[in-house]
Amino acid sequence: MSTGVTVALLGQPNSGKSTLFNALTGLRQHVGNWPGKTVEKKEGSFTHKGKEYKVADLPGSYSLSANSDEEVITRDYIASGEADVACILADSSQLQRSLFMLADYAGIDVPCFLLLNMSDVAAEQGKKINAGAIEEKLGIPVIPFSATDKKSYDVFYEALGTVIKNKGMLNVEKLNTQYESIIGYREIYELIPENVIPGYSAMWIAVKALENDKVVMAKLRAALDDQTYSRIEDAKKNAQGAVATGGCKFAWIDDILEKAVDAGDKKISLSFLDKIYTSRIWGKPAVILTVLLGLIASFIPAIPLMIVGSLILAVKAPVMGVLSSIGCPEILTLIIGDVVIQSFSYIFKMLGFVFGVTLVFGLLEEVGVMARISYVFDNTMGKLGLQGKSVMPFLVSFGCTMGGAAGARVIDNWGQKVLTIALAWAVPCGAAWATVPMLSTIFFGPGAVLVIVAVLLTMLLHMWITAKIFGAKLVKKEDRYGMIMELPPYHKPKWGALFRYVFGRTKETFIRVTKVIMLVCGVFWLLSYSPSGENGGILYTIGVAIDPVTRLFGMPWQLFLSYVASAVGKEGAIGVISALYNGGSYSAGFMDAMNGAATAGNLNELLLANVSKPEALAFIFAITFNMPCVVALAATYQETHSAKWTSIIVLYYTVVSLVLAFLAYHIGLLIW
Amino acid sequence: MEGLLKLLSDGHARTVEMLAAELDTSVSDIARKLEYLEIIGVIRRVSLSNGGCSGNCSGCGGCSGHTGDGKRDSAPCKGCIPDEGFKNMGVMWEVV
Ligand SMILES: Nc1nc2c(ncn2[C@@H]2O[C@H](COP(=O)(O)OP(=O)(O)OP(=O)(O)O)[C@@H](O)[C@H]2O)c(=O)[nH]1
Repeated sequence: MSTGVTVALLGQPNSGKSTLFNALTGLRQHVGNWPGKTVEKKEGSFTHKGKEYKVADLPGSYSLSANSDEEVITRDYIASGEADVACILADSSQLQRSLFMLADYAGIDVPCFLLLNMSDVAAEQGKKINAGAIEEKLGIPVIPFSATDKKSYDVFYEALGTVIKNKGMLNVEKLNTQYESIIGYREIYELIPENVIPGYSAMWIAVKALENDKVVMAKLRAALDDQTYSRIEDAKKNAQGAVATGGCKFAWIDDILEKAVDAGDKKISLSFLDKIYTSRIWGKPAVILTVLLGLIASFIPAIPLMIVGSLILAVKAPVMGVLSSIGCPEILTLIIGDVVIQSFSYIFKMLGFVFGVTLVFGLLEEVGVMARISYVFDNTMGKLGLQGKSVMPFLVSFGCTMGGAAGARVIDNWGQKVLTIALAWAVPCGAAWATVPMLSTIFFGPGAVLVIVAVLLTMLLHMWITAKIFGAKLVKKEDRYGMIMELPPYHKPKWGALFRYVFGRTKETFIRVTKVIMLVCGVFWLLSYSPSGENGGILYTIGVAIDPVTRLFGMPWQLFLSYVASAVGKEGAIGVISALYNGGSYSAGFMDAMNGAATAGNLNELLLANVSKPEALAFIFAITFNMPCVVALAATYQETHSAKWTSIIVLYYTVVSLVLAFLAYHIGLLIW
Repeated sequence: MEGLLKLLSDGHARTVEMLAAELDTSVSDIARKLEYLEIIGVIRRVSLSNGGCSGNCSGCGGCSGHTGDGKRDSAPCKGCIPDEGFKNMGVMWEVV
């Protein structure tokens, strides 16, 4: 060991230690490992005014607790006496926070001084710091500093010299007074003899004991007689812990900074929008309005793809005409026309809505509105017995219920997890967002917006009732926690990323939807096909037989079969409709309605020929609230590990969707 | 600090600003205390990245269903949520 003085640099991550270290030592440094640890050890040396100094850059850590190897190495290195002086760095731009290191250091018997680093940043923020006032309270040199500014190093050397000469120790009296207010502190303090762990004061050790610091407790056990140690253990049982000690440290910091910092801390006021969103009264209406406007808005970007869908339909007749004129077999012509072209027409219209909804809600997420929405709903979720993090599975469920069910994995309380999944089923998934608005526009034209609103309101009511029914069994009152949210600032959307997501999702949906619809449509078409051309086919026979029952729920047999198919996947419903009601009438009718071109009589004529409005309404509610799809069912079982609850949920959803269909039908009858 | 913890566990959601207002303190005070509570493990940050699929999606068997043929590419969850998860949903904590 050389005779020079050793300085240890101590500070939280990003406090500027490395910058200072490099500036002091230049090339005279070497990097190794702490004995037996993978933690980096950086040492170096410098000479100032002919004197030789050694510097140790200690690993940056939040505090000096036993949370990590870094922290234990740091404190033991300093307390071991290897360092003569500790130089503690704090970030001037956030002293309130970064002085925590100093507070945790208090009680280590090594002379130290405080560098208020980043003072240039603080000055830029308009913070005025009176280092002299802080110095007075701490009893050690406190210097405003800027590690990146070589010119400010003179004061550093000067302070270093002072500390070496005076061996100035941190004044911890006030901190001790703070600790006295902690239940159990005094008792433990008095059981700890001075110097029982060399380098640390009894105050420091008592606090670490309260914080249940494993390393300190092990050292105490080794150093103390059994009786004293068990008395400490006993005292800890009724004592306050790390929450209280942390509170004391912060209170001490505030006391030091009082009057010493003119924070320029302008009281940040909530923006106008946030005042509304976070208001207890207006929050919910504002969010509901936002979502509704979002939905309405998402019809606009849907239009181009809707038009593509109708154009596809428009080529159906010519193509079929050409096919039969070139002598193509009738069945092939029909398959191409009624199955392939017909389905693609539906598929493109569905994609329109997927695209629109994803774009609008992706945009809301990007600019920060989604965070507010989930914030507002969080309070409601608390009332439903759910945790704040259920927001996530619900949001994902708007895309895909299966993802939502898998996402419920983050909820560790089993009951809440099952409840979250049960509720996530009620959230219309991506496929529902594709199918339901499209069907609504076909049947109700521009009135579809109202239908969607009704569907959403029903969803909320459904979730609320479901939560009440299932919650009683699944969630205990004491399982409910509050939650804290830091709302992100509003910002401009990154259009590139947003469109990549929207197009990706639309493409994904396209592939999946095409597969399902083609398959289902093909199968049902074949089952309903009869070569004679007249109504025949196996399906027709079955259908007519079950029709009286299905009419109870307001659905003709064709729609009922389509409802059954929607349990496989909501797109499946479209496949069935496409097969069973072919002909371009609905779609054309809708497009005309959207363009305002068709006469009302004409539209009604076309629709009433097959499906009445109440029947359509019943069907829409039935498929929206039917079980999401078989894959979601599998995911639910996988996450809940309970066949019982999975079947309860399935049964419940089937019954509820039929009841809703029944209600919708009868309400529809009253309206039309 | 205890007052803060009490508010955190009472079943209501609050923004950091609301906590500051209720405890008559500044937002930065709440922020540093939340940081501390998180470090000592009293509260936990809620991951909003990709619902339980934590990073590689390997644990998320169900997600393979998206591709239809069970093939698991690097990001089978795309289609559910944006590539890097919900980026702008703010930060949420919960009491452990
Ligand atoms: N403006 C300004 N920037 C600084 C000052 N000191 C350090 N920085 C910058 O802050 C950043 C972090 O500094 P580091 O020296 O790496 O911090 P550290 O404490 O070693 O961080 P860890 O390596 O994580 O422990 C760097 O980009 C520095 O350039 C300062 O006084 N003023």
